[in-house]
Amino acid sequence: MSAQIQEKNSHVTLYGRRWSKENASISRTFDKLVVVIIFIAMAAAFHLHFQLTVGDWDFWVDWKDRQYWVTATPILLIVFPAALQFVLWEKFRLPIGATVCMLALTAGVWISRYFGFHTWSYFPFSLVFPATAIAGALVLDAVLLLTGSGLLTAVFGGMAFGLLFYPGNWPLLAAYRLPMEAMNSLVSVGDYIGYAYTRTSTPEYLRFIERGTLRTFGGHSAVVSAFFSGFVCILVYLLWWYIGQVMSRVVTVPNRMKSLMGLGDRPDTP
Amino acid sequence: MAKRLVSSSMLLFLTLCGVASVVHAHGERNQEPFLRMRTAHFYDVSWSTPQVAVNDEVIVEGKFRLFEDWPANLPEPEITFLGNGTPGPVFVRTESWLNGQPAIQSVPLKLNRDYAFKTVLKGRIPGQHHVHPMVNVEGAGPLMGPGAWVEITGRASDFKLPIKTLDGTEIENLETWGVPTVISWHAIWVVMAALWLTWWVRRPLLIPRHAAINDGNARLLINRSDLAVGAVFIVATVALVAGGFLWAEETYPRTIPLQGGRAVVKPLPKTDAPVEFVVERATYDVPGRSMQIRASVTNGGARPIRFGEFATSGLRFVNRSVPEAVAGVAPNYPKELVPPAGMVLSDDAPLAPGETRTLQFDMTDSAWETERLTSLLNDPDNRVGGLLFCFDDQGKRIIANVSGSIVPIFKDLVADTTMNH
Repeated sequence: MSAQIQEKNSHVTLYGRRWSKENASISRTFDKLVVVIIFIAMAAAFHLHFQLTVGDWDFWVDWKDRQYWVTATPILLIVFPAALQFVLWEKFRLPIGATVCMLALTAGVWISRYFGFHTWSYFPFSLVFPATAIAGALVLDAVLLLTGSGLLTAVFGGMAFGLLFYPGNWPLLAAYRLPMEAMNSLVSVGDYIGYAYTRTSTPEYLRFIERGTLRTFGGHSAVVSAFFSGFVCILVYLLWWYIGQVMSRVVTVPNRMKSLMGLGDRPDTP
Repeated sequence: MAKRLVSSSMLLFLTLCGVASVVHAHGERNQEPFLRMRTAHFYDVSWSTPQVAVNDEVIVEGKFRLFEDWPANLPEPEITFLGNGTPGPVFVRTESWLNGQPAIQSVPLKLNRDYAFKTVLKGRIPGQHHVHPMVNVEGAGPLMGPGAWVEITGRASDFKLPIKTLDGTEIENLETWGVPTVISWHAIWVVMAALWLTWWVRRPLLIPRHAAINDGNARLLINRSDLAVGAVFIVATVALVAGGFLWAEETYPRTIPLQGGRAVVKPLPKTDAPVEFVVERATYDVPGRSMQIRASVTNGGARPIRFGEFATSGLRFVNRSVPEAVAGVAPNYPKELVPPAGMVLSDDAPLAPGETRTLQFDMTDSAWETERLTSLLNDPDNRVGGLLFCFDDQGKRIIANVSGSIVPIFKDLVADTTMNH
């Protein structure tokens, strides 16, 4: 009886398999280490991707327009979440890939904006605050959890990811779209902030904003842009889900060098 | 070994810290000579004061001419923006004007035409800052004018940039406007994300879950509570986004999109210079740091003229024998940009109306070297460019373009010295 109790006390059952408590404890420590490493790696890698692709559209308040910022940002942001979602869902049944990515990105961009843009380069936060896409990531994860399907997550989650971006950021942005008069010209507060705080090598004409004829859709550029972005997000999500699949395969290469070096003619073991 | 490596590295680092000097300006001398000699020629540039307190203003104004002999490898100035060459936003630009028109938007400009500019800068970050006027040209990059040191005194924390919007909102300081809202919303979403992650990471994560999938027990990894929490999060997220959107619409009912149009600015009236300047031969004596231009000059005007100044790349070679030219250099103009030897002519007599004369212009100074204009020799397009300021007998200024090929002269100094002995 006491042996049974001892056996019971020294083991735990995790998801249907018996584990010694020691092994379970080591596994938990491993979890913690990996979580920290993934978070830091994701913050660095995703932030780098974000800087290189979305770049100025997110750096500056006078680039966050109704057309390109709304369209491009979700499309370029959904890539890492899609790939990580595949890995964490297929290998661990964890519907947290998108949220992990977005939380790590949030940490990365705020570190960059604080130290790089604000402290080092003197830009005020009113010019360089980052957008947030956590809302879309939460929905993406929750849809994956509820559907358990990459395809349905792409269709519903991807579309939601694109659609939620603009309204999710409007509370942050609206204060910078108040109209004002500067030098007898009508500008928004955000335009004026961008004008006032000199970016020596980023002149006004570099802003890629509000170009084209999308505004002819009844003036609702943001709505059209958000739907278009959502549609492209579906396709990009599927592509990156597949890339996550490919990248998470464990592949070995036959060691032909061994036989060339005369170390035996046994067939290589993968 | 490792210890020695670490201590050596530390020693090297400290030595470098000790010998390194502080960089104040921002690399304007790094721009290639062809950019500085043949694009935007700034003249009559002035800085209203060499020192301002935080929140006080300095006005930079003057004129520039977009050079006729514009380099073929640069796009023409079809889209330009009047900027200011400062170390980032140490000043805040509150106004900028081109020929009296607001320069808040980008504009197309024309070659061989002159533009008057005015920029109002408000002191923000204390320190000694090099301040240049600047024109950005799409495809050609920033084209800098001459720079002067302006000191900002006081405390950065005292800086404020107040404005009033068209709907009557008084914004006390644009530096901090809207920032608490931004931070609050980021915090809300971070908390939401943290809650979602906590729900999952509180349980054994990686190895046990992967083992369960391998064992065929994947169904044990997601339970009803998980699904319910997922549904709640979707609803809560969408509700939060909708609520935030409605709050913003309610709080800021009158908003406008970013203004991304282009403005139109007419150039200053063209005054055809009655001076024809044809470069016959221009040479640059490399070790002597001397530029010599032999030119055939014709006075097509009705009054005799003298040649007062050759201006290029922000440098002003002034002919000391022409009083109007000397008077044109303001006392607070940066001394390093006015070479003391100035411009010396082979014949300083006034050029009579209708007369054509061959003249030798000599500009010798180490400024060619310090301003790194000698690297012109490394450019694929070896041409010199600048403006020649002529004055008639009534003191009226006439500006002529000077451009032509330039030939370097290399001298073997050691050989020369030996021969002299």
